Amino acid sequence: MIKHLFKLIWNKKKQNFLLITEMFISFLVIFAVFTSLVYYYRNYKKPMGFSYDNVWVINYQNAKKFQSTDSVTQYYATLTAMLKSMPQIKALSFASGNVPFTSSMNTTGLSYKGVSYSPVNYYQTGDGYRDAFSMNLLEGRWFNQQDVVSTYRPVVINASLKEQLFGNGSAVGQLISDNSNSSIKKIKIIGVVQDMKDKGDYLPSGMALYNRIDTGAMRWLGQLIIKVSPDADAAFESKLYKTVANYMKDASVEIQHFSKKRISTNKSTLVPITIFCIVAAFLIINVSLGIFGVLWYNINRRRAEIGLRRAVGATGNSVSAQLIAESLILATLSVIIGTFFAVQFPLLNVFNLQAGIYITAMLLAIVFIYLLVLLCSLYPGRQAAAIYPAVALHEE
Amino acid sequence: MLKNYFKIAIAVLRRRKFFTFISLFGISLTLTVLMVLTAFIEKLTNPVYPGDKNNRSLYITRLTYTSKKGWINSSGSSFYFLTHYAGSLKTPVKMAIVSSNSSSNAYVNNKKVVIDIRYTNAHLWDVANYQFIEGKPYTIDQINRADRVAVISERTRNEYFGEGATVVGKFIEADNINYRITGVIKNVPELEEVFYANMYLPYTVSKKDYRDKGFQGDYSAVLLAPSEQLLEKMRAEYEQMTARIPLPDKAFDTLHSNADTYFETYSRPFFGKADNNGYVRFIVFISLFVLLFMLLPTVNLVNVNITRIMERSSEIGVRKAFGASSKTLVYQFIIENIILTILGGIIGIILTVIILQVINRSGLIADLDLTVNPIVLLYSLLACLFFGLLSGVYPAWRMSRLNVVTALKAQ
Repeated sequence: MIKHLFKLIWNKKKQNFLLITEMFISFLVIFAVFTSLVYYYRNYKKPMGFSYDNVWVINYQNAKKFQSTDSVTQYYATLTAMLKSMPQIKALSFASGNVPFTSSMNTTGLSYKGVSYSPVNYYQTGDGYRDAFSMNLLEGRWFNQQDVVSTYRPVVINASLKEQLFGNGSAVGQLISDNSNSSIKKIKIIGVVQDMKDKGDYLPSGMALYNRIDTGAMRWLGQLIIKVSPDADAAFESKLYKTVANYMKDASVEIQHFSKKRISTNKSTLVPITIFCIVAAFLIINVSLGIFGVLWYNINRRRAEIGLRRAVGATGNSVSAQLIAESLILATLSVIIGTFFAVQFPLLNVFNLQAGIYITAMLLAIVFIYLLVLLCSLYPGRQAAAIYPAVALHEE
Repeated sequence: MLKNYFKIAIAVLRRRKFFTFISLFGISLTLTVLMVLTAFIEKLTNPVYPGDKNNRSLYITRLTYTSKKGWINSSGSSFYFLTHYAGSLKTPVKMAIVSSNSSSNAYVNNKKVVIDIRYTNAHLWDVANYQFIEGKPYTIDQINRADRVAVISERTRNEYFGEGATVVGKFIEADNINYRITGVIKNVPELEEVFYANMYLPYTVSKKDYRDKGFQGDYSAVLLAPSEQLLEKMRAEYEQMTARIPLPDKAFDTLHSNADTYFETYSRPFFGKADNNGYVRFIVFISLFVLLFMLLPTVNLVNVNITRIMERSSEIGVRKAFGASSKTLVYQFIIENIILTILGGIIGIILTVIILQVINRSGLIADLDLTVNPIVLLYSLLACLFFGLLSGVYPAWRMSRLNVVTALKAQ
């Protein structure tokens, strides 16, 4: 049966070649759409890992000239004390520019037992950072005052980095090397936190390394994160702004809310993918109409052949089954060619995505193409089944 | 003759309405997407407001140090670097110096107003064509005296003082400092990397010291050449000059500071590097994208067209039998196809106008005003013709090779 259908297709290879090309290109488009959708969906399903409600960031660019490191420390300690005295402020921490939901990135490389790991997101955080974002501690502890005197620089890592470095083993107390700059420094892991999706709901957290801010860094830091109580309103924000701006006379100051930053970050991820999906959807509608039209026309041309089959005893169903099977074989041929190209993506590790994403997308694309072709050939198939042998043969 | 072809084409279109619908649907949508895309690119590469002198301007936006070890350090330039080095060029008539955006908040009646601030020199107002709704820009004297004066945008005025208020001479507070307003300008789209801001202040009132002698900072410059012809000369002069600048930092071995056209300020970060403006790569990338994008609708159209021709085999047979040459038939069919694509193109243009209106109203990108202008229209008509030829040639060739006998017998 199948062999016979292949012969039928081969006899009209010129015409079918175009159809196969069309399905093949559609397969690639669908594959691209599904790859990105699966990628974003997988990230979206992961837990956020932190809480951003009622967390604000004060961005400041301080142009003040300090005489010594001590005076810097003193200057910001006064500010911290002033803010902590406000009842609405629950927690606060200074931080480097790569706070959640900003485009700012800072990465480093790590090595452990001779293997290098990069890129690792590198954060400068204060003792209150974990409380401000309510981060989940999986192992060990967060930074505190004792860390000032430790022999090795203490760091907290996230679950992704821990899995890369130690698998299921324990991470706390291990020593690793930080390859940033030219000097290699030994650092000691004191805690592991859950992954924090700080680049938006749809993007992965990546590997992360949290460092405790040392006094030298205070000169160039420009972010202060605060967690406020739910009753903090615009009036409080205005008061807070006045306090900070009055204290930092040489700085330009801005307050942002993480809940708003999250919305705009997500928007910048979603808008391109939505446009992409809409365009792809129109392409597919276009193609399906085309395939439908061509199949329909072909069946009209084959009325005589169908009439003859009916006359020698084929049922309506078997006629429509034959036509549908023919188009499904065409779909199979194009899917085989398409899969050959699609498989190259995980094999060559293009775009650094996990192979699982490509394979899921490929399976979805295959199912989609079959469904599309099936839908497009169902109606022409029904039409063919309705051909009366007498009428069809009479026309001949 | 052409009139005849036109009549036949219309008759054929009306015969099989479903196929006509498929063709028109495909053509108009493909062209709509391309036209919306060109409208965006056109807006990016050829803005009218406020950079109307872009064809004789060069932008200096980044200053990058590289070393052979692979280290890169990239930032804006310092005010000192721009005045001292870029300011020493002979060709430019004016040089605008503008800082990067910094945001500040103001609280009016317990409502937060976000203000994007830039510090500028006085030449900015000559290099870019800001439209003043009220008042005028600040002057060189005011800058030299470090007066606390400001030019604000229409949006900031509306948010801070209320819709349509007269504000020149009034004070606006940002970072706890009061600035006297000298003028209000029409809003600038945020896409304008150098010219956009809500509040412009003299560089002398900046809290950072503009006299700092380091090369890296957060300023950009726009050089204005006396004429378009002298643009390349100005660029060459800047290149020669930067090659001679002594490196302040021994850790790096090359300093890159480029004077780019407006378009290259976009192509360089995405497609180029410190030593490549990415223009060629950008064009190749866009052409590849457009080709790939048009491939699917074209194959679809070819497919539909072939089906339609086979339907007309008897007509072709008769014409051939009466002595029409293959060339005439190919010619006729291509004309028919072009008529079809132009019809699709007209529908596409209508759709584009609607979609652009929706995008403008949605406020997806603030102050962006996308329009179908003559250039976009020209591009789309070209795309139309290209599309028509692309999808018409192969079916026409297949048709012209039809054997007269088979064509007639098929009936």
